[in-house]
Formats: sequence, structure tokens, C-alpha cells
Amino acid sequence: MAVIEARNLTKVYGRQVACREICLSVEKGQIFGLLGPNGAGKSTLVKMLVGLVYPTAGEALVAGYAPQDIRGRRQVGFLPENFRLHGWLKGQELLTFHAQLAGLDGRAASRRAAEVLELVGLAGEGRKLVANYSKGMQQRLGLAAALVGDPRVVFLDEPTSALDPLGRRQVREILLDLKEAGKTVFLNSHLLSEVEQVCDRVAIINRGTVVASGRLAELQSGPATVAIRLAGLTGELEAELRRRYPSLQLEGDRLTLALGGREEIADLVARLVAGGCRIYEVTPGHSSLEDIFVHLVQEGEQACG
Amino acid sequence: MWLMALFTFREAWRKKVAFIAGALTLAFLILYGIGLHFISGGSMVHTANPTASAASYYAMMQAITLFVLGIYLASFLVAGLAILAAVGSIAGEIENGSLYTLAVRPLSRRDLLLGKFLGLAAMLVLYAAIFFLALAGLVYWQTGLVIPGMLPALGLFILIPLVLLAVTMLGTTRLSTLGNGVLAFALYAIAVVGGMMEQIGALMENTTATIYTGVVTSLILPADAIYRRLVATVVDLMPAGNGQDIPHFVNPQSMLGPFGSQSTPSDWMLLYTLVYIVILLAAAVYVFNRRDV
Repeated sequence: MAVIEARNLTKVYGRQVACREICLSVEKGQIFGLLGPNGAGKSTLVKMLVGLVYPTAGEALVAGYAPQDIRGRRQVGFLPENFRLHGWLKGQELLTFHAQLAGLDGRAASRRAAEVLELVGLAGEGRKLVANYSKGMQQRLGLAAALVGDPRVVFLDEPTSALDPLGRRQVREILLDLKEAGKTVFLNSHLLSEVEQVCDRVAIINRGTVVASGRLAELQSGPATVAIRLAGLTGELEAELRRRYPSLQLEGDRLTLALGGREEIADLVARLVAGGCRIYEVTPGHSSLEDIFVHLVQEGEQACG
Repeated sequence: MWLMALFTFREAWRKKVAFIAGALTLAFLILYGIGLHFISGGSMVHTANPTASAASYYAMMQAITLFVLGIYLASFLVAGLAILAAVGSIAGEIENGSLYTLAVRPLSRRDLLLGKFLGLAAMLVLYAAIFFLALAGLVYWQTGLVIPGMLPALGLFILIPLVLLAVTMLGTTRLSTLGNGVLAFALYAIAVVGGMMEQIGALMENTTATIYTGVVTSLILPADAIYRRLVATVVDLMPAGNGQDIPHFVNPQSMLGPFGSQSTPSDWMLLYTLVYIVILLAAAVYVFNRRDV
């Protein structure tokens, strides 16, 4: 069942298209990663999904409701990218206030505030003024504010940008715990390794358009590399392969080249054997999320100009 | 909405807005009290019967004049606080990113905006009431005069910051903090100048262009009109001369000159002011509901 659904979401500011006909769907209990270069339209998309920005066209449903619907908002938590918390409040007071806004009464709100403070590693810091928190502590507090209403759906826009490696690991663990508890997480992050570690599905957005989406394994089954140790490669066969695979490199007995997909490896090996080569070792290259991301973004840049 | 109102009131309190305004107001009251002491020169109003003697009557007129001047200056401070408190309450929070976490809560934008209005209004009403009563108290202490029509006058004085708050709340839903501040202060200046022109026109018995100018500026922003009505409420309740040692024709309004209320706004203007606040708030909700955050 889709908990987050976007249908042709489009946002235009004057002549600038921030998002163009974005369609995506996130199932219950998934961690969904949204990737894209700066200015690709990620934050605009997230803001449309949480009801801060009105789409120019298209529609979205979050937890079964339109993003502006109060009933849906009871089930949504949001950590914005460039946010500031009310510095005149103490950490515990801020979270209690957010818990009350989320519908909890006084005592329950206070209890819940203490729980989430502990969850994000700020137990014992609740009596300090938010203005005196470090940037990393404020980010943790922002995450706590997103979680204080015990939401079914959590949108996190760059949740670890101000955190040290330990803090990042802690956030990853929180995300996995949320998933374990059946919550749905929509993660917008620049940190590809982080997305790779926790996300079930990802979408890559560039110039306001989704250029790829799917399960990580599906995306990684796209363009691939292979390294082959062989003997008996003739000049004629090498020339033929260079025409077909411009990336081909031959160093001693080691041949490396890029393929359109892993399924082409078998055909390549068959052609080499048919051409009289002896194959000693075939090593398929791992295509990281970063490789895919860079490839798709560069492809988009070339297409535009 | 009430949760938001309480939050906004606490914010004004914790950020020491009230403390800073209070300190400035105290300085103003001290200066005013010193001025009052030396200007009145010890001439006291017969509190139980101000018309008991010509000396008491003229002391009363002097005291009223000083009170009205105090209120005139106080209305500037109250208006300034209203504008400064609300000028960035939406736009500023969008600019610095603190509205995002609130605007996604299960709270309609109407409740968010009206909650902020109510919180600020509570702070301003409290401030204006204390300021007004402090002025009236000083006048009583130094001259023995109990301000006539004190309660309706207090109600009118409280209305001045509420009008400016409504204007500024509408502005902050659409304009930047700076733009909104410039607009609100400009509108207030226009209202004050228009009101002054209207009174001068009435004093000179020029009942056409200058008076209409004042009426138009009062329709644009009825802050000065409320002040004029307040002055009329206080001054018109003063007892007339007894026709013996105090001439009947003594007109306290003429003593006040352009600070008085020769041309007094009607009850319709008061009704207009209340409708004006409601319409501006409705417009603010409408605009805020449709804007991207």
C-alpha cells in the first residue's frame, strides 16, 4: 500500500520549473531515498509533499490525505533542511510544545518529549536553552521534533548534514528502528553512502525530473564494468571490440571495459572464446550508487547542452 | 489556536520584548511625571467638584491638556511596539526557517496566524492598559484630577495597537519583514498627518479639503481616528463653566489645538474600525492560506 504518492507533481516559479511531472510511490515500512544535485528540485518536492508549497499541477497523497489536510498531518513528521528552532525555549519545552501541537495533552507531551530527547542522544540536555545548543545538537533536536508526534510517515531533509560520524551512525540506527516499527521514511540526502546503507528504494532527480527510480539492486543492474584476464587476443578481435566498447583498455593480459548491463558479460565471454581467447578470470565490476548518480546526472547535463 | 497564542505571548515575554518596552516606558513616564510636576506648579483640581472654583476649573483644563498630550505621545510608543512585534511574525519566520516545523503540524494556517495575533494582542493590550493607567495615575497624583470617561477611553487606547497589529499581520503574510515594516510605519504616518490636517482644518473652520483628507486617511488606517475619539470621550465629559466666574464659552478642545478633537469621529467610525480589524485578519488568513512557505 502506497503511503506517499505523487502524481505528476509540478512546480513552476515564474519561468523556472523546479519540479516537472514527478510521479513516485513509497510503500508502507520503506525507507525511500531521494537523490539529486544541488538545485535539482529535491527540497521543493519534499515541501510539496508536506504541504508547505502548493503544486502548480498534479497531486500528492500522504498517509491517504492531501498534504494540507490536518488529518494527514497528524501522521507526518518533518525535519526541514534549513531550519531554525525557537532558541528562546529549552529543549524539553520545545519538544513538549511540538508534542502538544501534534495532539498530546500536557503530561503525555512532556513524557514523550523526554523519550525522544533520549532517542536522539540528548538526554540530560533538555534543560538548556535551544539557542545554546551546538549545530549538531540542534539537528538532533530537529529530528526529535519530527518524531515527537509518533508519526507514521517521516520526511527528513538532509538529517545528518551537521552531524559527526558517530551522530550519523546514530541517525542511521534510528532510521532502521523506524523501519522496524513499520514507519515510512522519506530521506532526502546528499550522502550517497548513507542512502546506500539504509534505503530500500531510491529516486534520482535532476533538473526537476525523476531520471531513475527503483530498488537499489535494480539500479545497480544497469551499466556495469568487467575485468577479464585472458590470453590469445588477436589484433583483429581487439579492433572489433574497441568499435563496440569504446571504453576498452588492455594492460598486459588484463582487459577492462564498460558494458550496458551485466547480462552482456556472457555474450562478451562467448565472443572472446569464439575468437580463440583463453579466459582465466572474469571479474564483474560493482556499480556503486555514486557511479549511477554521476552517470545519470552527467548524462542529463550533456542532453541539456 | 490557543496553544499558538500562549506560545506567542510567552515568546514576547521570554525574548524580553515586554521588558525592553517596559524599561523605555518607565523612562518616558519618569520624564512625563517630572514635566507634569513642574508645569502644573502645584495647582490642584478640586477632585470632588472640579468646578468648585475658577482655579480648580483652570487646573482641570491644564491637567486634561497634559494628559491628552501624554496619551498622544504614548500612542506612538504603543503603535511602534505593535508594528515591531508583528512585523516579521510570518515573513521573518519563513526567512529564518523557524516556521517550517510549525506549519507542518496538525494546525491550520488560519489557527497559526490567529494564534499569533491573539498572543501579540494579549501582550499589547496588557502593555497599553498599564501605560494608560500609569499616565492617568500620574495626572491624578500631580493634579488631583480623575480622568473623566476613563474606562471607555482605556478601551479606545487599547484599540490603537490592535488596528496596527491587524495591518502588520496582513503585511507579514505577503511582504518581507523590511517591506512590511516600511509599509506599516508609512501608513501610520499618513494616518497621523491626515488626522492632524483634519483637526487644523476644523479649527480654521475649513470644512472641505482638509477635513476630507483626514476622513480618507482614517479610512485607510483608523488609528488616529481612535485617538481623536478617545480625546473627545475624555474632554466632552468635562463640566462646562458655571457662567459666573467661569465663562460658559470656555472650550477645552480649543486649548488642545491640533492634538484635540474638533472634528470628532462618529460611532460609525468605531464600528468601521472593528470591521476593519476583522476584514484585515480575514484577508491575512486568505493570503497566508494561499502562499508557499
